[in-house]
Amino acid sequence: MKSGHDRQNGTRAPSPARRLRLTQEGIIVTITVVMFGAFAVFLPGFLSVGNLLTLLRSVSVLGILSVGMGVVVISRGIDLSMVATLAMGTAVAVVLAQPNPWFPQGLPFWQGALLGLLFVLIVTSATGLIIAYADLPAVFATLAMGYVIYGLGRSLFLSGEANYLPDDAGWVVYLGRGLFHGIPVSILCFIAVLVITEIILRKTAFGLFVYAMGDNPVAARSAGVPVRPITVVIYVFAGLVAYFAGLLTAGAVNNINTRIFNSTLIYDVLMVVVVGGIGLSGGKGSMKNVVLGTLLIGTLLNGMIIMNVSYIQQNLIKGVILLAAILADTIFNPRDEQTSQQGDI
Amino acid sequence: MTDTPIVEIRKGMKDFHGAVAISDIDFALAPGEIHALVGENGAGKSTLTKVIAGVHRLSSGKLYLDGHEVVFDSPADALARGLAMVYQENSMVPAMSVAQNIYLGDEKMFNGLRRLNIAAQQFLQKMNFTVNPTQNVAELGAAKRQMVEIARAVHHNARVIIFDEPTASLTPEEKHHFFGLLRRLRKEGVSIIFISHALEEALEISDRITVMRDGQIVDSGPAAEFDRARIVRGMIGRDLSNSAYADLHERDIRQRKAGRRVLSVENISMGAMVRNASFSVFAGQITGVFGLIGSGRTEMMKIVAGIYKRNTFHGGNIVLEGKRVRYRVPSPAVADGIIYVTEDRKTEGIFENMTIQENIQVGDTVATGHPWNVISTKQARELAQYWIDRLKIRAISSNARVIELSGGNQQKVVIAKALTKKPRIVIFDEPTRGVDVGAIQEIHQFIEELADEGIAVVVVSSYLPEIMVLSDRILVARQGQIVEEFSAHEADEEKIMFAAVH
Repeated sequence: MKSGHDRQNGTRAPSPARRLRLTQEGIIVTITVVMFGAFAVFLPGFLSVGNLLTLLRSVSVLGILSVGMGVVVISRGIDLSMVATLAMGTAVAVVLAQPNPWFPQGLPFWQGALLGLLFVLIVTSATGLIIAYADLPAVFATLAMGYVIYGLGRSLFLSGEANYLPDDAGWVVYLGRGLFHGIPVSILCFIAVLVITEIILRKTAFGLFVYAMGDNPVAARSAGVPVRPITVVIYVFAGLVAYFAGLLTAGAVNNINTRIFNSTLIYDVLMVVVVGGIGLSGGKGSMKNVVLGTLLIGTLLNGMIIMNVSYIQQNLIKGVILLAAILADTIFNPRDEQTSQQGDI
Repeated sequence: MTDTPIVEIRKGMKDFHGAVAISDIDFALAPGEIHALVGENGAGKSTLTKVIAGVHRLSSGKLYLDGHEVVFDSPADALARGLAMVYQENSMVPAMSVAQNIYLGDEKMFNGLRRLNIAAQQFLQKMNFTVNPTQNVAELGAAKRQMVEIARAVHHNARVIIFDEPTASLTPEEKHHFFGLLRRLRKEGVSIIFISHALEEALEISDRITVMRDGQIVDSGPAAEFDRARIVRGMIGRDLSNSAYADLHERDIRQRKAGRRVLSVENISMGAMVRNASFSVFAGQITGVFGLIGSGRTEMMKIVAGIYKRNTFHGGNIVLEGKRVRYRVPSPAVADGIIYVTEDRKTEGIFENMTIQENIQVGDTVATGHPWNVISTKQARELAQYWIDRLKIRAISSNARVIELSGGNQQKVVIAKALTKKPRIVIFDEPTRGVDVGAIQEIHQFIEELADEGIAVVVVSSYLPEIMVLSDRILVARQGQIVEEFSAHEADEEKIMFAAVH
């Protein structure tokens, strides 16, 4: 019988996308291993202790940023202002700890770091509020907020681009450069952030809501998930993570150069998240994917530096990989709004 | 009008992946006639007209144009042969001017705006349309947009124009002009197909009326031989013997007594969709709400559940258990025990990347916790198992992904997700749309159980038998209002349908 309600029977077969998604992770692991092996064999110096430490350190900042971005992307958002937060939050902390117009003696560094934290909290809350309550698309809101954050920091606090750590910032140096039983502390920081975030995502109601919002924002809202407050918290979280990555960066090279804002770092982070397999359509993936993406992209970047690939060619390669990753993402994780409307019968 | 029909379908059948939309269609449209097509939602009117307009292709059967068999590859193909369709939703470019829209797709290499505007002005005046050709379409009201759509169809030298619910958004005054236009077009030899829920209009304007039901033509003839009663009879006279509702007439109508008044809605309004709707819902009873598409039934319920916001001024009142409430977002409504189970589970109901267990867990967590609470997988598994047993959800385990379930089981998950905390009032919007027959019975039984437990239950449906079989009390929505109320005893399909059409 045919009626106004089209009634269907039976269970659907498991979607092919799901089976492929498992292999997608397999592919990433394979590529990483092959690339690592190839670099180890063909690149002199790749396997040296010095280089491996460098690799781990550079990977840890990239990885921590990707943890923050990963959470945002799971909730079907994107945060392009993370590098601005990284640079300016840290720079504010550093500058306030130097002699400056407000504190001619300069603050103790821990107080400066707290004020930097306050700066980050304020600007990222603003980002979150704009996205959640004014309903702006996250891409444009965070792109613009990136410039706002950078401009605010530059005009209010900074006189130059490079800002050196004060002498009493030893713990930041330890975080960035120190070794704990031979293991770089920064990589331990990455692992800590990763584990804590995974626990939040898995074990708290907040984490469940993040997945629910990314999966189906309309359903989440109707189900009674406080979508807008959660959105604000997500962007503040990303900002805090970026600030932590900023302190690590400063610790590693003894200063924070705000020019990092103009680098391609934010696209590296996006690349990690997408290549790792967190779908841009939201609701999928976990911190495991961040690890996979970080290892792949970290190894690639390090190898390219050793091979002395020019900056321009690096960008070309990265651009192609990002494009390919997004293309693969749209194939593996199709945005389903287009197919959800069936024909009127 | 004895000449060959301009459009004819013989033995037409169309299915979508096995779901038959229309079958056994013999349809003929004479030159220069106005042909009204009436029927319930989902009766197949849209599919039939879309076949004629080249949107769909017949699965079997033949389509004739001027006596010659044709197959259209695309709507553009049909348009080139003079068959135009004016859709319910506008298909115009809002940022362009009226003139640009009329000549859209028909531009020359170089378009002088001035020349275009003059041509459009002359063209519109010829049809007695008072629309400024330089105005942007975005700034026009519904009626004027309709005029531009029609002008565009006429401009393409359409010999057949199909209107899908053209009068739904028009005021009486505009409707009058619109009918004048139809008559003028008829005089020029244009044939018109006119889909409508408004029976009076169909009777007034058309030359022929065709009634559709369940994908078939059940009645057709000159309009002069029709009256309202004959149309309504054709629309609802379905054969229930082999459906899920076979026992409808044997069911002893056990009407539940109304408990306390849980919800009363007073004069709520929202835009053009809901206009001064008022109704009450009582505990321990199923209140059925029937309405056709565009009657505002879903919108009213979504306002109650906080998903939509009513007008800030003169928006009316909603009183929950004696307390006036106003929700801006759904979460406080959920906290107050107002549960809305959506009609569109794919886009508004399920989390399709999640498992059954996680879906139910989201509902449970929302109802019981603070975002920083720690959640327990074990508890979630037990809860999921409870609902799988209670609603007879057929799945391999509670870790099956929702997307892999059939429509009926998905619907059960949506219900379970919404009902983890005992609610005060549950609104089911089309609870069995796209649900297999076995699951319909189970879902109905569950809805009855909820009412027996003393919960206030609302069932919104555009499927009459469902309303009849479930409700203790029936409300009928029409044009953004509740217009009639029946008790289960006094209601029959004819009375309800009479109230729902206008």
